[in-house]
Amino acid sequence: MDLADKIYKWLDDRFKLRELLPPIVKHPAPENVISNPLYCLGGTAFLCFLILVVTGIFLAMYYKPTPEEAYKSVEHIMTEVPFGSLIRSMHHWAANVMIAAVMLHMIRIYFMGAYKKPRELNWVVGIFLLLITTTFGFSGYLLPWDQLAFWATKIGTGIAGSIPVMGEYISLILMGESDIGAETLTRFFALHVLILPATIVALLGLHFMMVRIQGISGRL
Amino acid sequence: MALIEVERPETEVKEERQEPVRVRGLPFFPHFVLREVVVMCIIAGSLVLLASVYPAGLLEPADPFDTPSPIFPEWYFLYVFGFLKFWTWDIGPVPAKIIGVTVPMVLWYGLLMLVPFIDRNPSTDIRKRKVAVTLGVIALLGVLFFTYYSIVFH
Ligand code: HEM
Repeated sequence: MDLADKIYKWLDDRFKLRELLPPIVKHPAPENVISNPLYCLGGTAFLCFLILVVTGIFLAMYYKPTPEEAYKSVEHIMTEVPFGSLIRSMHHWAANVMIAAVMLHMIRIYFMGAYKKPRELNWVVGIFLLLITTTFGFSGYLLPWDQLAFWATKIGTGIAGSIPVMGEYISLILMGESDIGAETLTRFFALHVLILPATIVALLGLHFMMVRIQGISGRL
Repeated sequence: MALIEVERPETEVKEERQEPVRVRGLPFFPHFVLREVVVMCIIAGSLVLLASVYPAGLLEPADPFDTPSPIFPEWYFLYVFGFLKFWTWDIGPVPAKIIGVTVPMVLWYGLLMLVPFIDRNPSTDIRKRKVAVTLGVIALLGVLFFTYYSIVFH
């Protein structure tokens, strides 16, 4: 008996792996889903998300969310931190690819009619995922605190602020004050690294659970 | 490779066939997982390549007193800008600007959320979904058009 078997047996004695694993491991995935690349888009978005989490954690170790320090800390990441430029650029690209993948995933769901009974609610959860993913992008855009970040956010919050009824509150909640400043930066940071990640993890859990329960719609 | 027969849940496609549709399936592990791993390697590799060839940019530090030009948002918000610029007509008492921000954000997302409840046609056959497919193509072209519009006229 080699080491892997021993470990398996040790765990099996305690957690009944023999009963737990087969339903997960042997759970069938339809053949056309394995061979059709259109079905990869959701997984691609998820992989990008994982890469964003890992690179994001590294960025958070060096980033400082204040107007005085933010730009300098990003410059420091880009020029001095070992692999800093690679990590930040991967974060940047994974974010863009994730959004593209989510949109294409949604287009595939739409044109295949995969949102129909019984999957209506998973489509709704999906729309929330789309909203969260783009809000991730919006909040992350401000963090480097360079000219583009500042002014694009100024226009963005301005547009959000002119939505009837809710706009005023949305922009106050986002900015924390009447103009973009220190308060806005810390809010966007909290949104970007705490609130949105927690929300998206919960919704992804729901999304995948529903796919698991309902199976993937697929008769090509 | 062990092919196994899978019964689809009965709730599905009941309208079109009486007996549950049988789909040939492969076990989640290792087949499905293996495919995912291959895809992951391709994507992770492409990301490293993209990141090395086109590093993320950083302009001058933010200056609240100096408006740069042009200002571009992220590409996936461009259509909102485009629509806002495109729509210059008041409707009754509603000013053009309010329509310009409400339609591409509130109405658009509201509409997207209601898609499964608006489209009551049970068929998933693309040939029997002419209305949904036409509307989908129009929506796609619309988003592309307003994205283009925001780049050209800004
Ligand atoms: C963070 C974003 C998202 C991730 C990571 C994700 C992930 C996934 C994955 C891995 C699947 C399995 C099948 C496949 O990959 O095609 C799936 C299925 C599905 N997704 Fe998403 N998704 C996301 C966003 C969305 C959006 C924006 C929508 C639509 C509005 C959506 C609606 C659905 C539906 C209805 C299914 C079931 C499809 C079927 O049974 O064929 N998802 N999702």
